[in-house]
Amino acid sequence: MQTNKPINPLEMLAFMISKQISDHEIVYVGTGLPMVAAILAKKTHAPHITLVYESGAQNPAEGGMPWSVGGPFTWRRSPMILEMSYSFGQCANGYVDIGFLGFAQIDKFGNINTHMIGKDYLNPTVRLTGSGGNNDLSSLTENMVLVGLQAADKFVEKVDFITSVGHYKGKNSRKEKGLPGNGPVAVISQAAVFDFEPESKRMRVKSLHEGVSFELCQLACGFELLRPEGEIPVTEKPSPEIIDILRRDVDPQGVFTSIPGL
Amino acid sequence: MNKFNYNEVALKNLQIQDTSVLDRLVDYESAREAHVKKDHSQRDKRMSLKEAVTEFVSDGDIYTDSGFSYVRSANQALMEVVRQNKKDLQMIGSPNACSSFLIATGNVKYAHASYQGAEMRGYDRHYSIALKTKKFRILSDWSHGAMALGFKAAQLGLPGLFCKNLLGSDIINYNPYVRETQNIMRNDRDEVVFVPALFPDVSIIHVQKADKFGNGFIYGPTVNDVAMASAARKVILTAEEIVPTSEFRNNNKGVVIPFACVNAVVELPFGAIPGSCPGYYYWSRQWWEKYFRYAAMNEENMQKFLEYWLTCKDQYEFLDRLGGAKWIVESRRQTLAAEYQNEDDRFDFSYREWQAGIKPEDELYY
Repeated sequence: MQTNKPINPLEMLAFMISKQISDHEIVYVGTGLPMVAAILAKKTHAPHITLVYESGAQNPAEGGMPWSVGGPFTWRRSPMILEMSYSFGQCANGYVDIGFLGFAQIDKFGNINTHMIGKDYLNPTVRLTGSGGNNDLSSLTENMVLVGLQAADKFVEKVDFITSVGHYKGKNSRKEKGLPGNGPVAVISQAAVFDFEPESKRMRVKSLHEGVSFELCQLACGFELLRPEGEIPVTEKPSPEIIDILRRDVDPQGVFTSIPGL
Repeated sequence: MNKFNYNEVALKNLQIQDTSVLDRLVDYESAREAHVKKDHSQRDKRMSLKEAVTEFVSDGDIYTDSGFSYVRSANQALMEVVRQNKKDLQMIGSPNACSSFLIATGNVKYAHASYQGAEMRGYDRHYSIALKTKKFRILSDWSHGAMALGFKAAQLGLPGLFCKNLLGSDIINYNPYVRETQNIMRNDRDEVVFVPALFPDVSIIHVQKADKFGNGFIYGPTVNDVAMASAARKVILTAEEIVPTSEFRNNNKGVVIPFACVNAVVELPFGAIPGSCPGYYYWSRQWWEKYFRYAAMNEENMQKFLEYWLTCKDQYEFLDRLGGAKWIVESRRQTLAAEYQNEDDRFDFSYREWQAGIKPEDELYY
């Protein structure tokens, strides 16, 4: 793998996700970029994290990238593997510090949709996967980070189906609804990193990626974004050493971080 | 009066008029009765796959199988269900990602949906098309966690339980079985979701090893299998190997399926192909890619695909089409390397993904 190539957007996403992870945490990951990111975090600033998976696997030996959450890459040489119901029980009982989810649509309060595009459940434009563990992680995990592609028809005023509740109707409504945890703490797209304004719980730009203006970011968003006070920082880029670790040790075959042609 | 009190909003949203189709999944009395009536003796339950499916899978059954997506699913038993053309099945399982061809073959009428897709290979277009063309209907929508709790409640002998999963989501509006309610233990407002215990009619569970009585050994994630074995009215165990009970007495680690639940034990080497079976063989990556990228795209492709793969008379013919002896050797090497069982850090997992336009000579199912 050539290390002098410029960083591509997927590698950048993996790096930004990894920055959400602090050392010593228990991290609930799906396959794909969050897994790349978690392993990158482990090999850089957070060597003592524990990775847990929906298959129930705890702390597998890392290396290589899986195609399925049930595959050996998520459970090989694990000291133990829990059943699925216990694995979500870990989240509900407060043992999981941070989880990562993808989405097809998201609203300004971080409620997300992985069910369908369209207005009619019985006859949708497209039926997507459904919840899988998405709702469970969103409902139960202490801190959620949501990762997805940003476009005006994906960041929408109202999602077509609430698969998973984030900050629900804003303000204190998640807690009042009876849901534990802090809900979504960050949203990461190819344009920006977002957090949620503490009072209203509305999505707010935290940092913009290099070359992206607030106006451009707003154009690719179907609801009004909040702007932080003062000048908006540019998202931190990884050092050459970190890019090297990502390419050499984490995803050497580029299963999740290569883009054909780049 | 109807015995069951379903979530009215969900019934309306799903346009379910005759609720009797929903009843058996939550009817713990009839499940218990089925369990009481089973022969509880330790006896030799071995039979052929054909006999087991004939006797223990009926038209209209609520059907579930083992594992997680491509991993240790009872795929070859599923093919026998198709060969015997069982009708009007209700699919349930989290995830039951490998079963969408049962809709294409016309064996499934209803689904209790929690996840249908191919993880990193995207969503299942065939499932989406079949839903829109009313080839099957969704009777209830779930998350993995909530469904897993329903099975777990059944295993623990509970009528149901309360949880925080699903709160505030639209899933509740499309699931007649669950509802939001106040936590009866609390005076302050504390909303919880009631999830009833779930009792499938038949669970087909693929395990690495079983004894002739039906004690089952699983290596790798058990997912929901232990709960589904206890819950289901009928259980078929398909096993890579039949071993003497003394092997389990010497080392009972991983023996998780209790014999009493099991109606039939089927010796079925390669029973999970084209999926994987930990310790035995890796999944056929190209097969699933072709399924999702070719077969699932439209009805015509799907029929061609199924005509080729579902005309096998047994798993050995299926194996031959996957690549025969070479497939067996390769997929065994792959799974052992992936599991770090042979410490082979030089093993190369690279392969040619199935893409439209792939040359026939590059279609290798390992």
